[in-house]
Amino acid sequence: MTAVDTTDAAVPTRGSSQAPRRAAPGGARRRRGSALDRALPYLLLAPAVIAILWMIGFPVLSVLATSFRKLNLRELTRGQVVWTGLDNYTQVLSDPEFWAISARTVVFTVLVVGSSVLAGLLLALLMRQISPVVRIVLQVSMLLAWAMPLLAATTVYQWIFDQQYGILNKTLVRLGFDGFAGFSWFSTGASTLAVIGLLIVWQAVPFLAFSLYAGAIGIPRDQYEAAGMDGASPWQTFRAVTWPELRPLLMMVTFLSLLWDFKVFAQIWAIRKGGPDGGSTTLAVYQYLEGISQSHFGVAAAVSVLMVLLLALLTFQYLRRLVRSQEGAL
Amino acid sequence: MNPAVNRAVNPAKSKKVAANAVALVVALFFAFPTYWMVATALKPRKDMLTSEYDLLPLSVTGTNFATAWTKPGFLQSLGNSLVVTLLAVLAAVVVGLLAAVPLARMRFRGRKGFVMLMLVAQMAPFEALLIPVFLMMRDLDLLDKLPSLVLIYFAVTLPFCAWTLRGFVNGIPLELEEAAQVDGCSRWEAFRRVTLPLLGPGMVATSVFAFVTAWNEFLYALSLINDQSRQTLPVWLSGFQSQFGTDWGGAMAASALFTLPVLVFFLIVQRKMVIGVTAGAVKG
Repeated sequence: MTAVDTTDAAVPTRGSSQAPRRAAPGGARRRRGSALDRALPYLLLAPAVIAILWMIGFPVLSVLATSFRKLNLRELTRGQVVWTGLDNYTQVLSDPEFWAISARTVVFTVLVVGSSVLAGLLLALLMRQISPVVRIVLQVSMLLAWAMPLLAATTVYQWIFDQQYGILNKTLVRLGFDGFAGFSWFSTGASTLAVIGLLIVWQAVPFLAFSLYAGAIGIPRDQYEAAGMDGASPWQTFRAVTWPELRPLLMMVTFLSLLWDFKVFAQIWAIRKGGPDGGSTTLAVYQYLEGISQSHFGVAAAVSVLMVLLLALLTFQYLRRLVRSQEGAL
Repeated sequence: MNPAVNRAVNPAKSKKVAANAVALVVALFFAFPTYWMVATALKPRKDMLTSEYDLLPLSVTGTNFATAWTKPGFLQSLGNSLVVTLLAVLAAVVVGLLAAVPLARMRFRGRKGFVMLMLVAQMAPFEALLIPVFLMMRDLDLLDKLPSLVLIYFAVTLPFCAWTLRGFVNGIPLELEEAAQVDGCSRWEAFRRVTLPLLGPGMVATSVFAFVTAWNEFLYALSLINDQSRQTLPVWLSGFQSQFGTDWGGAMAASALFTLPVLVFFLIVQRKMVIGVTAGAVKG
């Protein structure tokens, strides 16, 4: 049961199987086809395109429009449309709490992504060095972490980190750290976020390790043999062979992770609802609290727009790399 | 297994032993929460809240599972989750396949633009669109109704399905279809008899990933549904403390039941796993 046997395909374009389609005949025949034939691709695409424009395109425009409106519960129930220009933005941007939350979100995201990508890379390299049986054991255990639904994971982590009866505190006391008897991991925002961060890293590393491992085993063996013959040290081999080959893939999974981890909501909400005392509130939680809990839809929309802008920047970087990595395949 | 001794004998071998040892410790770290969930779920209640150090359950019981199963709301939210998830995934896979075929197989004006649309839509930050989608569902009078979640999960998973299925269709040689057409099949027949069966595994893999996405979804399920009888399982489980109090055995049993379908699906498609998640990063 090797989890990544066939995953070499995750390495962007090494050799291409696109040729047959290009060379396919039939263009001429199709051109002579009926009107229905010519309309067929559009008809087949129509349901998907309509759904995407309706459920994604429209909300993107509407969030922008809402962010320029005063829209609290009163306006909403009365159906009033009150345009207030940039008021929501000035309110959000002049609120020190917003800046504190933004800073917290950025630091949290960078730390979580940094540690998960680094751990994923180290595990990918480690997987090449170990015996097949151990590798399967490692892969299966990573699979278990990856497969656990978010809300099951948050529940299990709260049990492990439980103040009185959690196995972690019990273990720490056993190891001689008596200070952890009855230690509360959720009493400050920082330590709450640390536990949440650990949970996210724990679930993110398997994907990263599997992808990077698939990339690493795709590196031609003769490059390592050449480095070995030149008497390169392991570190030199890594710098000269592994790093340049893995870098594009590494950048892509890093951007993907940034996109995913920046907007994390479920884990934070499920563990302490952004508490204690707002100490683990990130932008995604803030948006929910403003918009859904307090019905300040205009202000929340302004927060959303700011989030979308940042995410769009990251997405653009990711897509640019993705498109470049598979030129011709589109 | 003392590395110091081994190094003197055979440095390469001792290095390998050390690497394997590190790997096993890491494996323990990843597997432990799952183990602890199952072990706790199997523990009798009297062994739960003790200061005893009990990494291995001393005795095993099924009562926690019975407790979780009969908790008010568990079966209801399990059913809600299943209905919402399955309907959304079914729709996304069907509509996604309809879009994938022309994107992979046909030549027409604007094809590249549609491919980019799928790619960009797949990256859409749904979490940041909570407010407009909430207002939209309110206008459609779908707040507090399950169809709202079906619609959203369909839209969330659709671009991914279309994109991934396009990759799988691309992987099937066109020559096979053409050979069938030479043998007298119509284009539709050739697709149905040749390509569609070969697409089976790819469709299973795609559905599983769509399923996991919808099964996990929390933000919209929390925001759009207030009525307890229409909660999905993640939202129900997030309030486990009000359900179970300090009955960790019951909470762990419920978590295990929640995990089980996903785990089964993951094992089915484990070979395609990275391909699925990197969808975009995979050559088509």
